[in-house]
Amino acid sequence: MKRTAVLLALLLAPLAAAQTPPDHTPVDLAHAESIAGPPRAARLAGAALEAEAKHIAAVLRCPVCQGLSVGDSPSAMATNMRQQIRELVAAGFDEDQILSYFEASYGEFVRLQPPLRGVNWLVWIAPGLGLLLGLGVVSWVLRGASAETSETPAAVAATGPAVDVVPDPLPDDPALAKAVLRVRELAYGWPGGVRPGKD
Amino acid sequence: MNRKVFVAGLAVTLPLVGLMLVSLGRDPHKVESPLLGRKAPPFSLRPIGGGEPVTLASLRGKTVVVNFWATWCVPCVDEHPVLTAAPQRYGSDVVFLGVVYEDEEPNVQSFLREHGAAYPSLVDEGGKVSIAYGIYGVPETYFIAPDGTIVSKYVGPLRPDLLDGFVQEAQARAVTRRSDAR
Repeated sequence: MKRTAVLLALLLAPLAAAQTPPDHTPVDLAHAESIAGPPRAARLAGAALEAEAKHIAAVLRCPVCQGLSVGDSPSAMATNMRQQIRELVAAGFDEDQILSYFEASYGEFVRLQPPLRGVNWLVWIAPGLGLLLGLGVVSWVLRGASAETSETPAAVAATGPAVDVVPDPLPDDPALAKAVLRVRELAYGWPGGVRPGKD
Repeated sequence: MNRKVFVAGLAVTLPLVGLMLVSLGRDPHKVESPLLGRKAPPFSLRPIGGGEPVTLASLRGKTVVVNFWATWCVPCVDEHPVLTAAPQRYGSDVVFLGVVYEDEEPNVQSFLREHGAAYPSLVDEGGKVSIAYGIYGVPETYFIAPDGTIVSKYVGPLRPDLLDGFVQEAQARAVTRRSDAR
């Protein structure tokens, strides 16, 4: 039994070492408390700690990466930040306190989701406003277009094009004159392009 | 040109041009860190090569220049002579500290042997201090007033004239504080 326990400890030792870097010093909890106040959540451990730390790492921006969360980044900085998150969660700091702790160093930029305060409201409502504005413009344009077309179809149906065409004189060449008349018929819909009964 | 299209175009482009013009006047290297005007995060770090830990709290009353750097960072190597020459110029009222960012201790020791060292470079295990100071990359330098308040932060390699300006700014804060107290 004792040998099994020793064997198990030896097997798990590398895993424990991987969790905590060998040169690691713990996060300054007094400094964290001076920023975020005393811990106000339950101290977590094991799987619950890992789940909470993973959740917080997913909403923190990795400062040295391009648009990656601390949870997704393979950088040394993100690895160190994940370790700090674990320690803060283990000490009983809640998500809001931990985000505030990192925000004190990096500013709001470090939050992947900007909080709903100040001009940040614009970030949340601007897409909706833009969509509404776009829909308004489209409906205004479509209404204008339909108003134009509603005036013209009946007129076109009854009388042809709104503007009566005064045909240019035909060319002297009979073949060419015939071709011009044919083109006018195709273009205006009447023989020779002249509305019947116009004359 | 259609008047409506022209007005709509102006409405879109004018704010963008205005934003661009405002941004043109800003120095992109001077980062508005949320730490400016606040107490510098405390630290107690071991110097490279061993020795007693250096504690920021023990330097209260002096202007402190904290330079985050690494041997793999070319701009840090460029600014090294500027920083190495500085302590002699300012005397004991200004303390210079290097904090090594994501680098191996043997590399730093070998670099300092080759290029010289005029002040301690500290080992930041687990990047604890780098994170507390909101470091994005190196070199980044913080200027801390004698009362422990962060006065300015500079991103990029320092030149002697820039360094002078920032140190004077930090020292001026101490003078202002002293005259406020009277």
